[in-house]
Amino acid sequence: MVQRQSTRRSVLKTGIGAAAGTTLLAGCTGQIDEVTGSTPGNNALRIATDSDPGSPLNIYVSSHSKFDWMKDLVYDRLLAPSPYVDEPMPGLAKETNQVDDTTWTATIRSDASWHDGEPFTADDVVFTYRYLRDGPPTRYAHHVSEAPHIETIEAVDEETVRFKCAYPCPTLADITFADLPIIPKHVWDDVEDPSKYAGLPVGTGPYELVEYESGSHLRFEANESYFMGEPLVNEVVIPIIQDHSALFTALQSGDIDTASVGLPPSTVNKFEQNDAFDLVPATTLSLVEIRINYERAPFDKHDFRWALSRGIDKKSIVDVVMLGKAVPGSEGYPHPKSPWTAQDIGQPYKPEEARATLDELGFRDRDGDGVRETPGGEELSFTLKVPSNQSSYIRAAELVAEDLTAIGLETTAKTLDPGAIGDLFSSRNFDMYISSITPHGVADPDQFVMSHRSGYLWDKEIEYPAWDSLFEDWKQTATVAERKEVLFEMQRLFNDQPTSLPLWYPEPRFAYRPEAHDKWAESPGFGIHHKWSLLPQSVRGASVTDSFE
Amino acid sequence: MRSRIQAIGSGVLEYGVTLLAALTVNFALPYVAPGDPLHYRLGRAVESLSVEQRAELLETYGLDQPIHIQYVDYLLGITQGELGTSVMYGQPVSDVLLQRLPWTLLLVGSALVLSTVVGTLLGGLSAWREGDRTDAALMTAHVTAESAPAFWVGMLVIAVFVSWLGWFPSYGVSSVAAGSSYIGSIASIAIHLTLPLLTLTVARIGGIYLIARGSVLTTLGEDFLLFSRAKGLSDRDVLLRHALPNSLLPIYTRFTLQLGSVVGGAVVVETVFSYPGLGLLIYDAAIARDYPLLQGAFLVLTVTVIAANVLADLTYPFFDPRTTAGNTRRAAE
Repeated sequence: MVQRQSTRRSVLKTGIGAAAGTTLLAGCTGQIDEVTGSTPGNNALRIATDSDPGSPLNIYVSSHSKFDWMKDLVYDRLLAPSPYVDEPMPGLAKETNQVDDTTWTATIRSDASWHDGEPFTADDVVFTYRYLRDGPPTRYAHHVSEAPHIETIEAVDEETVRFKCAYPCPTLADITFADLPIIPKHVWDDVEDPSKYAGLPVGTGPYELVEYESGSHLRFEANESYFMGEPLVNEVVIPIIQDHSALFTALQSGDIDTASVGLPPSTVNKFEQNDAFDLVPATTLSLVEIRINYERAPFDKHDFRWALSRGIDKKSIVDVVMLGKAVPGSEGYPHPKSPWTAQDIGQPYKPEEARATLDELGFRDRDGDGVRETPGGEELSFTLKVPSNQSSYIRAAELVAEDLTAIGLETTAKTLDPGAIGDLFSSRNFDMYISSITPHGVADPDQFVMSHRSGYLWDKEIEYPAWDSLFEDWKQTATVAERKEVLFEMQRLFNDQPTSLPLWYPEPRFAYRPEAHDKWAESPGFGIHHKWSLLPQSVRGASVTDSFE
Repeated sequence: MRSRIQAIGSGVLEYGVTLLAALTVNFALPYVAPGDPLHYRLGRAVESLSVEQRAELLETYGLDQPIHIQYVDYLLGITQGELGTSVMYGQPVSDVLLQRLPWTLLLVGSALVLSTVVGTLLGGLSAWREGDRTDAALMTAHVTAESAPAFWVGMLVIAVFVSWLGWFPSYGVSSVAAGSSYIGSIASIAIHLTLPLLTLTVARIGGIYLIARGSVLTTLGEDFLLFSRAKGLSDRDVLLRHALPNSLLPIYTRFTLQLGSVVGGAVVVETVFSYPGLGLLIYDAAIARDYPLLQGAFLVLTVTVIAANVLADLTYPFFDPRTTAGNTRRAAE
């Protein structure tokens, strides 16, 4: 008996020891380095995000465009701030020139250098553009390989790079130069497999990423010798808080200074009444949409898609689901606030015309049960799939189903886990599903064209004479004005036979603690969280504004 | 001696078969759900990939091979300690898992120990006071705790201790702006651990309490306790020195079974508190369809569960000599 007792005490001691040991073990991981590392910032600006980039901003691993604002802290583009503005301003290129229909030159800055002290050169630009064109696929690749297709990239001298396209490329500067981050040749030249590279990034940007803890945070320190001017904030920490409830609790309790995610509509009033916060509206140039399986009958009929798009009351959906704090998707696709979108397009709510069109197609309710049938007698009954982790999408799906059922198209909303939703595109096992898309998809005109070739909005292998003819015209245009004219014609055609039905354009309000930082500005497509909010007003350019209208 | 060797051999064979079956299921499970990892990695840009580009990306992670080849590669990889490369993180799976493991061990391990110790003591007290107000109050509290979903408890705890009282931070494992001293760092980790630990302990304590209460009640009816009282021992000594120790077997069984879950993390609690442990990692990997990472995490989980069972088998006779192999067979005869 005595022996058993003493052994139990030993077990207890061992357990306590293990617990303490585990505490120390946990403490000895990078977290300890983080808290004991270089000048940990009691004054660091804390901008929480809901998404883990998965790497120290390796552009191959963290390729998704939702991480662009973080990558921009480290890297610069030839032109700035993005392709989503009327006229980009100089970035790493101080000047760009269109030599002829297919040739451009970019003259680079001579006063920029990499974070490791190496000088920035024209060779870095040549290397980057070739690397993105010929290396493993990223979201940037099509800007150099297909729309447009840059055939040759070469350094003419130490400060000049020449680009030769396979067909006229009038928007090369406005779009491609303003989108692709420039990476250092002296670092990436030695990287064997870029998709597995885990080194901290070396950029030319206003901030240097000094620490990345997966699932926890990223820490940036200011690049005091940044060529555009010293950043306003010395240290930026981006905590990763995936759960939105936890994220906004952290904001309210003062654990973070702002969140890169817009406030949920239901919490706006609460933050407005809190004196510790300032709220500003800012467009993210994104949209929530219904995607249509245009390869499946009857969605393969242009007129059927027209009727579908006119049968959904998007204003009511916004009023109910978003409490009116978004713009109804009646203004069509792409995003109406993009400078590259025609202003005379739309997908307005016209239920009577939708019914008439369905009648003309021969889709009538022959048995009087309220559901239309095809001329062959098959009921028009569809499923609208929606990701299970998006409560606003689920509610919207229910309302869409009611609207479509009201015009005789029986529709059932069905939730799927987000991973399964992501697979629908390749499996094509769907009628319709709800998802969202970032500015890269709906504010970038080259992506709009590319999406008609890749399968997202259309598949280039499927015959579509009206579109194909416009595409050939588009390829031959040699000026921005001419290209816009054809592009707008493409957009009109698209909205008459849409394969994407915008439900709403988010117009989020962002909350921040002014005592932490109050120099926020809006950059189209990025909201207020981007590097320009952390740089002096004098270098921000005309497209980045703090008027918040 | 021979029968002992036979028993050990039989046990090894059983665990070997179990391990192989579990590894096979672990390999196959992620593939059952529709989806592929490229969508998470590239977002909508994946829809701009050509067939060749798509194949190139899948080849990077060995996902372009037929499923049976991937299975063989997976098993061979395990024998060499290679778990593949995470699609989400672009890093060896083992590195990603090791980065998250300490935090999960700290949180779930602490919660397991705490809930077991406190639940056992309160269960013993409740049994000792069977039928009175203390018993009723403890029973009500624990059944309530057992019934409450962990996410709800977590949100309640955040509402009270973060939003209202402002005593604790709401997320993470350590302050991103903590002091520079080692002690300060440990203190920061402890402060960040408090609320998730409290939530997880509350979520787990009900089961232990009920087992402990039932077990002690059974023991209290034994003759040797009547004899202890007759010897003049105090109530405290009777409970702590005789009743509780002799009621530990079912509690120990539950403890060892739950040991296996320690590395599985606590998805809900880790999500609510943004605690970057293995549970949250497994959830993220499932959403992203990161097959290599999921398989690696499941492997660690499987091995730990089996190890916990082995531990239980090996240590059971220590708590109850009647369960040794020889004794068990004799009892059966």
